[in-house]
Amino acid sequence: MRRLVQGNEAVFLGALKAGASFFAGYPITPSSEILVLAVEHAARGPAFKFIQSEDELAAANAIIGASLAGAKSFTATSGPGFSLMQEAIGYGHQAEVPTVFVNVQRVGPATGMPTMPAQQDILQTKYGSSGDYYPLVFYPDSVEECYRYAVAAFNAAEESLSPVILLSDAFVGHLNETVNLDDIEVEVVPRSRLPLGTDKRTFTGLAHDEDGRPRTADAVVYQKWLYKVKARHEQVAARYSYFEFQANASSDTLLISYGIVSRVTAPLTSQFALFRPIRILPMLGPELRQCARNYEKIVVIEANDGQYACLVECELKRDVIRVPLLGGRINLDLAKKGLSEKLEREVS
Amino acid sequence: MFKDLLRLERFPTTWCPGCGIGQIMIQLAMVMDELGLNYTNCVIICGIGCTGRLAGYMNVDSIYTLHGRTLPVAEAVKLVNPSLKVIVVSGDGDLASIGGNHLLHATRRNPDLTVLCNNNEVYGLTGGHAGPTTPRDTKTVSSPAGASYDPLNLQNLIKAGANYFYAKTTVYHQVHLRNCLKEAIARPGFAFVDITSQCIENYGRRLGFNSAYEMLLHFRKTYKRAPEGAETLEPYEIGIVRRG
Repeated sequence: MRRLVQGNEAVFLGALKAGASFFAGYPITPSSEILVLAVEHAARGPAFKFIQSEDELAAANAIIGASLAGAKSFTATSGPGFSLMQEAIGYGHQAEVPTVFVNVQRVGPATGMPTMPAQQDILQTKYGSSGDYYPLVFYPDSVEECYRYAVAAFNAAEESLSPVILLSDAFVGHLNETVNLDDIEVEVVPRSRLPLGTDKRTFTGLAHDEDGRPRTADAVVYQKWLYKVKARHEQVAARYSYFEFQANASSDTLLISYGIVSRVTAPLTSQFALFRPIRILPMLGPELRQCARNYEKIVVIEANDGQYACLVECELKRDVIRVPLLGGRINLDLAKKGLSEKLEREVS
Repeated sequence: MFKDLLRLERFPTTWCPGCGIGQIMIQLAMVMDELGLNYTNCVIICGIGCTGRLAGYMNVDSIYTLHGRTLPVAEAVKLVNPSLKVIVVSGDGDLASIGGNHLLHATRRNPDLTVLCNNNEVYGLTGGHAGPTTPRDTKTVSSPAGASYDPLNLQNLIKAGANYFYAKTTVYHQVHLRNCLKEAIARPGFAFVDITSQCIENYGRRLGFNSAYEMLLHFRKTYKRAPEGAETLEPYEIGIVRRG
């Protein structure tokens, strides 16, 4: 049925479609609709479980426990809560636990500007926890995509045995669009391992060997483990290489944007080539290099002070022009103004 | 056989000779064996610290969680699969300090969990730093002039809930400890067993004890059974208080 659906609601419906049966969370705007939908759904029957946690630390760790106990599980939060969840995300990578963390971004740092939209958690998503890890991250820009990539996030979590992040922002989360989610065909990946109470395994945040036995002073075992996990993440990421590219033979500039900013910059298609990463992390290396090849200038326009731009620079090994949209003001006029200033020509 | 519940191929454990955790683990294994708990119906969830390593020494599915996060993990496991007996084993620092907020809220929600707190009054694994249960004036690595504050009153914290189960026992009182474990596991709800235990290497020696044995004798001398029907345990009383 075609109906008006909100971005956050689409994330929740996508999670259900993917087979999620456990949600734990702590209320925080602009993500709270997901928590409310979860408690409403839990009230409909015992198949779906819900915990409103005492804090984000509890929520993040509860979804890890729930996943190991047999439920596909997720939480939803925003920047400050996401910061509190970072240690658990690292744990999920070390203990190899599939879960999904939804981060509906707002302006930070700390309490920042509650609750203006931002995209300021890109680097936190990539590097926020301790140690080396390789998170898989999706960033939709429409209500339909919220649904589609929520399912993808759960699938990628099972395949990579890790916490997968679904990024959104206050605008995408609160966007209302008419969609028919029933018509969207998605594939659902089943659970990747048996639940607790079936074997004699130890799931641990310690470095460990294949039997789960702690190996805290063996560099060889550690390196073997890390590279095995890294290779697994790269293989899984390759199956989800989602992006959008609109070439423009008459332009010398590739404009990169994602999430809500890509909706804002869409009208600029006649003046620029446009690239939009959807599986935003790990970086879309070959795809990005291919798309950027024919353009003299690379511009990243984003609602932060150049976080993704810095990753693009690293990937392409080329200078990247940054156009930040800060303080929650994200609109086409500001985008044009910023582009005109940085490119030293009139962008209209 | 209770030994079937122990992962003997991973022995010797990382624990120092004389440590109390091994005694708690053996009593737990004996009680589990008696109650028919095994890898098909029971999971063990541990936190960080010396006590946390217990997870890897038992022949059931287990989780060695982040520091302080045993209770949120355990609550979720129990909610997803209520047929499992979920036993949390962790230290006083993990449960009462870094995980204190979860403990507070667990008393409110009363989930069906059995919690064993290896209470050695110190952060043993980090080298003997004062913790939330270190008695006032006790000298430790991080309290060279003596601990500045009174310890957290775990009994009162647990009793903040409408319904509660709090047992106090020690590693010396093995039969009492075993009975406490049995009653805690049988209770449908949040059952907290506060087990005074000896950390000889990073605590006891600095306090003048020459061996773990001396610490155990000290427990025998100082701890007495609470009177029958007591509603509150006085300091150095072992027993169980409950409501609901």
